[in-house]
Amino acid sequence: MRWARIGMQAPSLVILMLVLAFPLVYSLLLSFQSYSPVDPAADGRWIGLDNYARMFTDTQFGQAILVTLGYVVLAVALETLLGLVLGIWLSRLVRTRRLMTSLLLLPMIATPLVVGLMFSFGLNPQFGYMTSALQSLGLIGEAGVLDSPVGAFAALVVMDVWEWTPFIALMVLAGLSAAPEAQIQAAQLDGCSTFQIYWHVMLPMIRPVIGVAILFRATEAIRMFDQVYILTGGGPGSATTVNDIFQYRVSFTAFDMSYGATLGIATFAVVVTLTWVLFRYLNRRGAA
Amino acid sequence: MYIPPSLPRTRPVSMSRRVVLAGSLTGALLLTACGGSSDDLDPSAAGGWSQEYAGTELNVLAEATLNSDILAQMAPEFTSMTGIEVTIETAPFAQLVQRATLDFSTSQGDFDVVSIPYDYLGAYAGSGYLEDFAPLMEANADKVSDDFSQENVIPGLWDTAAQWDGAYYGMPSNSAVTMMMYRQDLFEDESEQAAFMDAYGYELAPATTWEQYADIAEFFTRDAGEQLAGETLSEPLYGVTLAGKRHEAAVFEWLNYANSFGGGVLSPEGELILDTDESVDSLDYMSSLGEFAPPGYTSATWDEVTAQLQQGIAVQAISWGDTAGAMENPDQSAVVGKMAYGDIPVLDEGDEHHALHGAWTYGISTEASDADAAYLFVAWALSEPVQKQIGEMGGVPATFSAFEDPELLETLPSWPQQLRSLENAVARPRNAEWPQMLDQLMLQVSNGLVGEATPQEALTDAQDEITGILGDKLPLTEF
Repeated sequence: MRWARIGMQAPSLVILMLVLAFPLVYSLLLSFQSYSPVDPAADGRWIGLDNYARMFTDTQFGQAILVTLGYVVLAVALETLLGLVLGIWLSRLVRTRRLMTSLLLLPMIATPLVVGLMFSFGLNPQFGYMTSALQSLGLIGEAGVLDSPVGAFAALVVMDVWEWTPFIALMVLAGLSAAPEAQIQAAQLDGCSTFQIYWHVMLPMIRPVIGVAILFRATEAIRMFDQVYILTGGGPGSATTVNDIFQYRVSFTAFDMSYGATLGIATFAVVVTLTWVLFRYLNRRGAA
Repeated sequence: MYIPPSLPRTRPVSMSRRVVLAGSLTGALLLTACGGSSDDLDPSAAGGWSQEYAGTELNVLAEATLNSDILAQMAPEFTSMTGIEVTIETAPFAQLVQRATLDFSTSQGDFDVVSIPYDYLGAYAGSGYLEDFAPLMEANADKVSDDFSQENVIPGLWDTAAQWDGAYYGMPSNSAVTMMMYRQDLFEDESEQAAFMDAYGYELAPATTWEQYADIAEFFTRDAGEQLAGETLSEPLYGVTLAGKRHEAAVFEWLNYANSFGGGVLSPEGELILDTDESVDSLDYMSSLGEFAPPGYTSATWDEVTAQLQQGIAVQAISWGDTAGAMENPDQSAVVGKMAYGDIPVLDEGDEHHALHGAWTYGISTEASDADAAYLFVAWALSEPVQKQIGEMGGVPATFSAFEDPELLETLPSWPQQLRSLENAVARPRNAEWPQMLDQLMLQVSNGLVGEATPQEALTDAQDEITGILGDKLPLTEF
């Protein structure tokens, strides 16, 4: 019986091994080598921990990590705040809730590439409609948004917030819809105001849902690539060089494959650790 | 005419050789016909090309340019003459390099012929991914038509695009080269000439020095509502446009300034010279032009430069010759007949002008299904009629015959300058580490332009990073 069970699971386990374990193990091995497909001197010879040592002293990688952290924290924080407000607003709608919910889905269903192109056209310094709008409001100068490091970074954050706030809003809406009525009615009978009901009763009830949504968004935002590649290419300077763009440049522009693999392994380790910590936190909250 | 030293000369085909050739062709045809791969092949339509490789299927990977599109359109002609089937795939610069590298490094052999940017020659040839052309040319000397002549290919292109470490690993596929583009109609306007003379004390003329280039940029930069050549501007006008994004385009543009300032990436001795005063001054100069460029030039590549010239909102630029056709295209351009083209300016009057090569190379993969058939295709692509057709359809040829063709010269005002630029152009480094060096340069040139670092700091950082990349390979012996 036991062997039959293993046999039944074997096909999916083999596929999982191929698509997950093999690249990971291969990358791990590569990270201990010196390999570039365009440099005969980097012929795949074993160099031990040299790539890892290089990573810890690589200021450009450090800068990319800082940019990524700043981007993830800012974007996800704004999305959570706005998503919460939007979710509560949606929950209070009666007739138009379905329509508004459908409309909110639009940014999410656009592919990242299209979102990047949309903002790229919109923020074109000469002809972009977003540039014109911002200029007419006096928010930016004639050089546009993408000309300055701060402007380009802000554009990335705004683009992510525009695309993913609806996700948080929908999660909040789902949480609120599933919240038990009894506690809410009890709070109403006790004379709580609407704000107090949301703040002291409903919000704590949907906290695990918000936690999961934040976790999803954070792990997604850490992997941000397409939009940045299209909109800024990581520039100006290194202002928008997030971790994935940096790794892409190392691996596929400079073709330093082994160092790229090292960075990939390090990122994987960080993301796994973060996810583990967050799940533990959520489990503890759930148990409590 | 120039003939690369290590390449066998193509031999004029004598009458007796033609007879032998015809006989061998017939034999080959019979053989291939037995294989069922050249049933429809007409020997009289061969046009001097061998039909020995009929039935071979070639996959070509080429840059996404007009040249490649034209070749793809013309490929059926090649097939009808030789029986060799050709499929041409195109990709933009970065994607092409990635696909080619993946194909080469995994020995997939998906592509028989790959058109590569010449600065990857060291990387690919040095890694043993490309066929040495000399044996192929020798073996197939009597299988190519008289329409192909290696002497017809522009010499500088041979050296830059094909030669590496004493051998030839391809043939030039695209003769892109930089030149100065400017609005001739504005330069010839008398009121503008007088105003310029008043302001700068010398005659308005196409810049020959960088100082003049900057003066002209400043002079023509005007707000909407100001006068230009007797008319009121409805939109602002900018004296110059340039590529400043963190992108290859900005590095290549900077190299034009750096070369004439006496700086650049490597000295003739192979030492890094990024942090020299000359290199720093040239980046400082490039940055200073930003004041007279359309807003947002630090997020512009060659695409935006071309568009801004076409729209007539910029007066001059250092740009690629293969975009000149777009200036004269009435469907796309507001400046048809108004542009003129000149040499890249120099630092001091009397200095030698230097353009920058942007050539591409047809290389044949060592995993090619049939390297001889692939060679025939490359030779055909560089043959006189094909090159002329490329010119007629707006592409950029690589041969003297096309650049000097009287019919083409009548309709393509940029061509004499392109040829001049090709004759004085210098190359970017082509060593195996260049991709890593270029990545660092993209970052640091961008840092210097947006003010994240001073030009001195940016290029010092670039020097340090690239020194780390090259390590004990410095000074480079081959680059």
